[in-house]
Amino acid sequence: MEETTTVVEWSQIWIITGVGYTVVFLALLMLMLLFKSMPQVLNLGLGRKIREAREKAAARKNGDLKEERYISGEVSAAIGLALTLYFKEQHDEESGIITIKRVARTYSPWSSKIYGVNNNPR
Amino acid sequence: MNDYRLPNSIKIKIVKKFLTVISVLGILYIIPLIFGGELMAQVVVPEVSEETGGLFEGLRHFWEYTGFSNASFGNFIMIAVGLFFIFLAIRFHYEPLLLIPIGTGILLGNIPFPVGAGVGIYESGSVLNYLYFGVTQGIYPPLIFLGIGAMTDFSSLISNPRLMLLGAAAQIGVFGTFIGAIALGFEIHEAGAISIIGGADGPTAIFASAKLAPQLIGSIAIAAYSYMALVPVIQPPIMRLLISKKDRLIKMKPPRAVSKTEKILFPIIGLLLTTFISPSAIPLLGMLFFGNILKESGVTERLADTARTKMIDIVTILLGVTVGASTQASVFLTSSSIKIFALGAISFIIATAGGLIFAKVMNLFLSSGNKINPLIGAAGVSAVPDSARVVQQEGIKSDPSNHLLMHAMAPNVSGVIGSAVAAGIMISFLM
Repeated sequence: MEETTTVVEWSQIWIITGVGYTVVFLALLMLMLLFKSMPQVLNLGLGRKIREAREKAAARKNGDLKEERYISGEVSAAIGLALTLYFKEQHDEESGIITIKRVARTYSPWSSKIYGVNNNPR
Repeated sequence: MNDYRLPNSIKIKIVKKFLTVISVLGILYIIPLIFGGELMAQVVVPEVSEETGGLFEGLRHFWEYTGFSNASFGNFIMIAVGLFFIFLAIRFHYEPLLLIPIGTGILLGNIPFPVGAGVGIYESGSVLNYLYFGVTQGIYPPLIFLGIGAMTDFSSLISNPRLMLLGAAAQIGVFGTFIGAIALGFEIHEAGAISIIGGADGPTAIFASAKLAPQLIGSIAIAAYSYMALVPVIQPPIMRLLISKKDRLIKMKPPRAVSKTEKILFPIIGLLLTTFISPSAIPLLGMLFFGNILKESGVTERLADTARTKMIDIVTILLGVTVGASTQASVFLTSSSIKIFALGAISFIIATAGGLIFAKVMNLFLSSGNKINPLIGAAGVSAVPDSARVVQQEGIKSDPSNHLLMHAMAPNVSGVIGSAVAAGIMISFLM
């Protein structure tokens, strides 16, 4: 009697294990497949535009254009750095030291209204 | 010398106060005279009637109420365990944010008290019992997942979706432990709850055991969190055993830049897909992806910020201390807890090995330029971000210029998704 219940339980357990593991795999596999095709899906319109632009440019230049469509992270970092350096050059350097301007006032009639109005530190 | 004198008005006030105090004392003295000298403390408190006997009785009563009188050997063992957790956290920095609350919780839960004092975590109406409600009803884990979602960057996963499979492969730990638990004689629901330790994800394990085997929550949570804290100790030997020196040196392509649209679409698609497959995991996965939508949408920065900082901190404190306190020696120190600890260790080993071996198998099908470093398979067990950190350290040991952290984060976060799906499947099979 006990033997049979054990056997039945074990078959159920193997089913749970097998099905469970497969479903976990399946769920992540589906997510993976979706996101593998995601760049293509998102770039459908973009890819066509790039191709058209490139064809036009090629027609105009009539030269050999072997540009990469995909810009790697390093390249964009280099472009970013170049742009930053370029724009930084146009900007005048400031000292970067910020202090409170010392105002020397020998006479301080603190309650005199007219003094406060006229002697604003600039 | 200062000539310091009080103004007359203040002097008068002081004199008035003085007179009031004198007159009150006088009235108090007169009362017993009026009532015939009978109104003393003994009359009001009749219990303390006999002078010496009453004193001893009171002291004995007090003694019975103290922890010293109610202590059992188990309490001291558990207090030692709690102190050890606190030591591990402070000395070795093993998951201090978890081990300090849990360790302190263990101390709180194992201070002995007389039954019926209304302070124990299992006594209804006590403060700890109210806080523990969030654990037994599975409220805290989804809130933790919300915070995790709001702090997780899925971009490494989106840029290399293949690595998602590593997170699935490591879930062999869950199902391997399930079989192991049944073999050790656990009832099927208990085995299901114990198996989720193999997912190496504390909140998921607590959530699953709250549904499947509430009586084991304490042991399962402690096992899951202690092994998660011990990931830097458990994983490296297995990695060295299974991955050859040559494979450890493989350099992976840098992940591509991921667009904002992809980042926004990932949680939305992930939410819909995974919860349709495993609806029992809605509280976990729903909250995880909800948190990520808050982060990636770019328009709810305030909410995302709260979820990943203050809110997750509050919930971690409550979860840690109540899980720790639930390890009351009388409930916790049983043979099944020891079995659960053994199973937990085995499940971590199986999960790590599963991820590593699957990564090696994947490499057989990949072209030479696209090969993955099999070490990152170990990050397929969730334990975010500790296992990814371990992978990084192991990679650096073989080649100091080979940084694997970003690559390892991909299987790491997919492991979180995978273990939540696995928990959902377990719950739906067994409920």
